[in-house]
Amino acid sequence: MKANTGLMSISQASALISAGKFLNIAGDEEALKQLPKGNWIGGTIPYFMSAEGGKIARDQVFVNEIVDMASAPTIRQYDVDSLPQLCRNAPDHGYTILVVPAFGPCHSSFAENAPNYEDMYIKPVVGWVAGVHLEDLGKTTPKVANGLTGELSDQHAIAMDVPLPPDQYAQIDIVNLFQPGEGDSITFDSTGFAAGACTIGGKPANLAEFLTTNNIDTRLPLVADYCGAMINVSIKAVDAKAGKVEFYAPVFQGLTYKIAAPVKDYVHEFQAALPKIESGITFSCNCILNFLYSDLEGKRTANVTGPITFGEIGYQLLNQTLVYLTISK
Amino acid sequence: MKTEELLHKSLDISPPWNIVRVREDLGKQQIDVWVARQTGKSWFFGSKSSAIPEDREMAWRHVNLGGCRCVVHAVPNTESPPLPWVGEPGMPFTHGMSRMIAAMMRDGIKLQSICAILDITVADLWKFKHTLDSGKAGLSGGNATTAAIPEASSSSNVPDPDSPIWEKLLDGSANIDIRLLGLKFLLTKLREQMRVITDPEVRVLKAYELQRYFARYEQTLGHELAQLSKL
Repeated sequence: MKANTGLMSISQASALISAGKFLNIAGDEEALKQLPKGNWIGGTIPYFMSAEGGKIARDQVFVNEIVDMASAPTIRQYDVDSLPQLCRNAPDHGYTILVVPAFGPCHSSFAENAPNYEDMYIKPVVGWVAGVHLEDLGKTTPKVANGLTGELSDQHAIAMDVPLPPDQYAQIDIVNLFQPGEGDSITFDSTGFAAGACTIGGKPANLAEFLTTNNIDTRLPLVADYCGAMINVSIKAVDAKAGKVEFYAPVFQGLTYKIAAPVKDYVHEFQAALPKIESGITFSCNCILNFLYSDLEGKRTANVTGPITFGEIGYQLLNQTLVYLTISK
Repeated sequence: MKTEELLHKSLDISPPWNIVRVREDLGKQQIDVWVARQTGKSWFFGSKSSAIPEDREMAWRHVNLGGCRCVVHAVPNTESPPLPWVGEPGMPFTHGMSRMIAAMMRDGIKLQSICAILDITVADLWKFKHTLDSGKAGLSGGNATTAAIPEASSSSNVPDPDSPIWEKLLDGSANIDIRLLGLKFLLTKLREQMRVITDPEVRVLKAYELQRYFARYEQTLGHELAQLSKL
């Protein structure tokens, strides 16, 4: 069955909801508020990678219809205390789509603790971090939507657990154009969204001082090698005076990071890096920082479409990375 | 067998240690026992025992007595091998209970099920698991609970959990090219844990965890399994 997936009008999305479809919907808060109750989860964001290219729209929503399923998906709303049950509640065979509002308690808790959730990495979890239009930062908060109740919340996370038939399986992959650069290795003594003291090249150092004195382009993330998967931590702000660097995802104690090598042409290199996907993409999202730093508005990233987000979820929280889910037989 | 002998046997308590006090009214379906070193004949169970210094007394959940939770109160000791009815300071369980839980974890029983079967709290189980994962406590030294090695299907290409290949993957002495993102994350996490885990039995737990992942996703891990067979 072909899925109704793409950027569409609020009335088109409403029609799908009214038809009882199971949907993941991304859109501006005012757009989500206009949708009827039904079998959908969502989050706020007005940035999209549409079939025509990168786009900012407040009057349209991006819809992913779930068509592959063994039985009806289950929608679950989590607070910061129940979120660790995410994978335990997930179907034994299937996957979970998770939406978390940026800057809320679920965001930081998931980012720091997800690797230790029961059954994490065993059951596939894909998703995204809801955000706001950059002009609205500080005026409104990112929110998730529970389509069953119509409630929008900046304090909860929302998930859809999708059971799959035995002959189908879910696979999560990433496209990350950033590779570790030639510079020194960086390690941290503790896990967190901010750091100052660290070890660089085996010597005690301060990261803020290091970035400032070496005039490092802070659009480049820190990159760690997870057994072959290059995982970014993006730099949010550098306070040289306070000797502190803030990140969009936590750095983890024990892992070794490097400043990424620059990416010359995101669109060109992205197309070269994207593997041939024969079965089609069920869900994908890309990072707002890639959208901004690589100036993706109006540009297409191959045939990959979806929300442009304040963080990506491929099992754990990711930064500056495209995440996609495929269902294969 | 006398009742007191049965109780000592059930809780794996033997001389010179002795049960000096029992209460069954401190919690619903709960029996609390106090254990101290036996010094001669006394009023309780026919033995004279040294009193437990209250300031040093600790309590741990021990193996259940039938349908009742059992809490042992005693002073931590440094007997080697560790006594089954005593625990480490700060840990929620006795060594006997710890080994029983570890055996269930090794067999892949879900944490929620372990809590239900043994009537223990999720918080205590997570504390126990975190302490093992961070290398701050071990399981070795006592009578190891033998795990039933899961019977692999005759057509399975996944090595047994006791195969040395898992330890090699976990300590980084063997590397393979991995395609599955979930496995890349899992192996990274397990390697981080293995860096700080020195206890042999806890390291075996991690090997079983990794083997279970391969067994679960055998159909999609052809690329990785083909490399294992050549290591």
